[in-house]
Amino acid sequence: MKSGTRLVLLTVPGVILLAAIYVWPMYGLGRMSFNETGPTGAMIPALSSKTWRELFADPFIFELTWNSIQLSVVSSTAALIFAYPLALFLFRTQSRWRGVIAALAIAPMLVNGVVRIFGWLAILGDRGLVNAALQGIGLTSQPVRLVYNWTGVTIGLTESLMPYMILALVAGFGRLDRSLEEAAASLGAPPWRRFLRVTLPLSLPAVALGWLLCFVLAMSAYITPKLLGGGRVFVLATEIYELSITSVNWPLASALALYTLVLLLLFLAAYSAMSRRQA
Amino acid sequence: MSHLVLTGLAKRYGRSVAVDGLDLSLAKGESVALLGPSGCGKTTTLRMVAGLIAPDAGSVSVGGADLTQAPAHKRDMGYVFQSYALFPHLDVAANVAFGLDERGVARSEKAARVREALSLVRLEGLEARRPRELSGGQQQRVALARALILRPQVLLLDESLSNLDARLRESMRHEIRDIQRRLDITTLFVTHDQTEALTMCDRIAVMNCGRIEQIGTAREIYDSPATRFVAGFVGRSNELALSRDSGGRPVLDGAPLRLARDPGGAIDLHIRPQHLRLGPAGAPASDAFNRLAGKVAHSVFVGDRSEVLIDTKAGRIVAELPPGDTAPPDGADIVLSWTPDAGHVFVRESV
Amino acid sequence: MMKIARRPLLAGLLAAPALRGANAQSRVEGAITLVAYAGIFQDNYTKTVVEPFLQRFPGVRVNYVPGGTSAQMLGTVRAQAADPQVDVVLMDVTTSHIANLEGLFAEISPAEAPSLAELYPEARAVGMNKFGPAVTFDNLVIVYDKQNLKPEISKLADLWRPDLKGLIALSAPPNIQGLALTAMVEKMEGGSHTQSIDKAIAKLKTLAPSVQTFEPNPDGYSLILNGVVRVATGWNARAQLYSDETNGRLGVLLPPEGSVFQINTINVVKGSKNRAAAVAFANYALSQEAQKAFTERMFYAPTNAAAAPKIDPKAIARTAVSPENRARMIPVDWVEIVKVRDMWNNRWRREIVAAAGR
Repeated sequence: MKSGTRLVLLTVPGVILLAAIYVWPMYGLGRMSFNETGPTGAMIPALSSKTWRELFADPFIFELTWNSIQLSVVSSTAALIFAYPLALFLFRTQSRWRGVIAALAIAPMLVNGVVRIFGWLAILGDRGLVNAALQGIGLTSQPVRLVYNWTGVTIGLTESLMPYMILALVAGFGRLDRSLEEAAASLGAPPWRRFLRVTLPLSLPAVALGWLLCFVLAMSAYITPKLLGGGRVFVLATEIYELSITSVNWPLASALALYTLVLLLLFLAAYSAMSRRQA
Repeated sequence: MSHLVLTGLAKRYGRSVAVDGLDLSLAKGESVALLGPSGCGKTTTLRMVAGLIAPDAGSVSVGGADLTQAPAHKRDMGYVFQSYALFPHLDVAANVAFGLDERGVARSEKAARVREALSLVRLEGLEARRPRELSGGQQQRVALARALILRPQVLLLDESLSNLDARLRESMRHEIRDIQRRLDITTLFVTHDQTEALTMCDRIAVMNCGRIEQIGTAREIYDSPATRFVAGFVGRSNELALSRDSGGRPVLDGAPLRLARDPGGAIDLHIRPQHLRLGPAGAPASDAFNRLAGKVAHSVFVGDRSEVLIDTKAGRIVAELPPGDTAPPDGADIVLSWTPDAGHVFVRESV
Repeated sequence: MMKIARRPLLAGLLAAPALRGANAQSRVEGAITLVAYAGIFQDNYTKTVVEPFLQRFPGVRVNYVPGGTSAQMLGTVRAQAADPQVDVVLMDVTTSHIANLEGLFAEISPAEAPSLAELYPEARAVGMNKFGPAVTFDNLVIVYDKQNLKPEISKLADLWRPDLKGLIALSAPPNIQGLALTAMVEKMEGGSHTQSIDKAIAKLKTLAPSVQTFEPNPDGYSLILNGVVRVATGWNARAQLYSDETNGRLGVLLPPEGSVFQINTINVVKGSKNRAAAVAFANYALSQEAQKAFTERMFYAPTNAAAAPKIDPKAIARTAVSPENRARMIPVDWVEIVKVRDMWNNRWRREIVAAAGR
């Protein structure tokens, strides 16, 4: 057997697995979106574009799209800003506590998302820690609304993205060689110039990758917007959930899910085009 | 007139002592090698000089100014890393110009100086290349140009040739030595390779366990090693354990020895392979020579001369024949002889 | 002595007519899978309906599987349409109606399930008189923090009280609580949801800024008991139960302005592998005995008309079928509501929730 043929054979299990867990459900989703939904909510097997036309006839989809992108951009960026120094510290530290700190940084991933959100409710709620502190020091007399709105969702989502961002950054910091910064120092660059001229540019690929990963996660996040949004935060993911779980409009939910998927693929394509131009 | 002066430099990591009270001073334009095995503290010393790590004790001064507390970016020292540490995201010209940018040098002057620095290391025309597109030797030269373009007071080289292949290393040695002399730049060079130290530097400081064991010119170090470590580390040498007879005179294999000096007590004799002569067994003895009988294990021809491995009652010994001499056949019984002043005697360290 | 002995006899007589059709009890055997609500509902339904059923039908095993929301149950049934693993499903009428239209549920007749004949006409009407009928009636209530709210809530219009600003939890559509509330507010404002909901939308818009969350999690009762909000909408049965469990801390109000029924239906899945046992279970669940027991335990109003007079009046008084409450109910045809649900949903989002600010 030629080695080429053997290599192809080796890919067979993976291809079958991918087909089983990805292609087949995708086909199911696509097929579902061409069914129709009757006026009473009953699904009518069909092969029509009615659901798709319905999807784009309602301008609400564009509001949802904009909301999703806005939320994802803001929370991914915030996660980046908070995670970057932590990741750099983790990457650099020689401390014997490094393992502990790393575990703490990614510990939120081990906690169920719903539990974490109830934690945030306890902290950010009207009678939560933050409001108690604000009122305690006399900054406000009325509680400041920090949950059940966009603020709460953005905070919660940022926090839930941080472990992923930290992991992506630490993994991507591979190119950061300590001696490069030392070289910059020996050439007369003070610390902040070293960061700007060496560390930051070299970590940009990691930043881009981490940001993209978080963006995709944020676009598909629904637990956080649902539980912390107080019914005020409408994004694509919550709408897909709502359509499939509450309204039982599976064809429309499928169409919206596919629309979201295409949107994400477009972002990925833009990213890879950009990174190819960079390289 | 001392230019770079290190006084009592010390650094420990936890319980292990990396550098243990090191004193060293270099004259303006002088090139000194820190030579020693890995882990001897030489790189730690260099990094303390550069300000990349803070010493626990001691001081660093250049031209009389105490720089011990100065951060690395204010020390005006060029540092060439073992890995070169070129900025992978910048091209050659930008790498070389990095330090000029930090000093706010005008664009026109910058271009001229980059050209000048690149011609110094014979890399004209490679300005637009990225580091990964360069060979090891070219990267080495970019690193050198990047450090030299700032006309630093002191040049620090950290094992800078160890990543090059043998032939390239040979030519770079001379090239760097040549540039260093031309620019009259005070240079501290860390290496574990004695050939490098011997060929590139005015003086050599041999380091062991965080201390300087001996400092001197290549010849001084080679001909009169101050310690057993230096004798063993610089050049090769055979170590012979001596004992004493009832009269307290040193003997080897039962035969009395004549030594240039006898400090008393338990002593060892270090003798370099080329100081040993080979004669056939039973050759007439002479009082002028010390003697040791042995049998040829085997010999190797190393280009222009032969090395002979000889088994004796004092252990296996290496002798180097003068160019042109033919090695005796394997298994031949021979007698080794040497003059009393050929060896170096060291007091045996108590274990 | 005689008096004491009469009780079980009476109970037996009482149950007898409904169970007539099941005279071949011995032939009904095997396992069935029941999908219904989880938590407190499951606990009580098991005790008051499933276990007594098992005593009567010792050959049957009932596997109670909590199915999440009604929509999730519909999803399960849809996914298993080709090879059903579920035999009986208890769900909200809005979803069972969809399942009926999609042919996922089987028809059942009074001939095989005699309890059907005893039901209120509207209970059978929701199953188009041939599919699974209503098994419980519930209704929307206002729940509130009885301890910390002075004066207490006494009518729907009280929600607009200025002291409640920021302390209200509503469930916006497509949640059916939100749909029911819309109909109630429209009625309160003098309109009828069958004509238009403009008045309700306009009124709710003024309530929006006072609303803390339009999606209480896990539910409004818990938010009140945890002190997060003071007022929420809820379902009567659960609210009554929580009220008892908290020694009255949770206040429950059927608004004098009117309320809306929520209906759960019991359905036999088409293609059930053990139809006989499934029908027997549905029949028992609809029987006077089961209806009485469950109402007295959990305050869901019975759908069996013959059972109603036999139920403890104190329990009945706390359901929507007490004469006093029944008069306040707003007739709502859920099948019609489902048709306008998307439109109501959109109006809530664009007019009401939007008025609450981001």
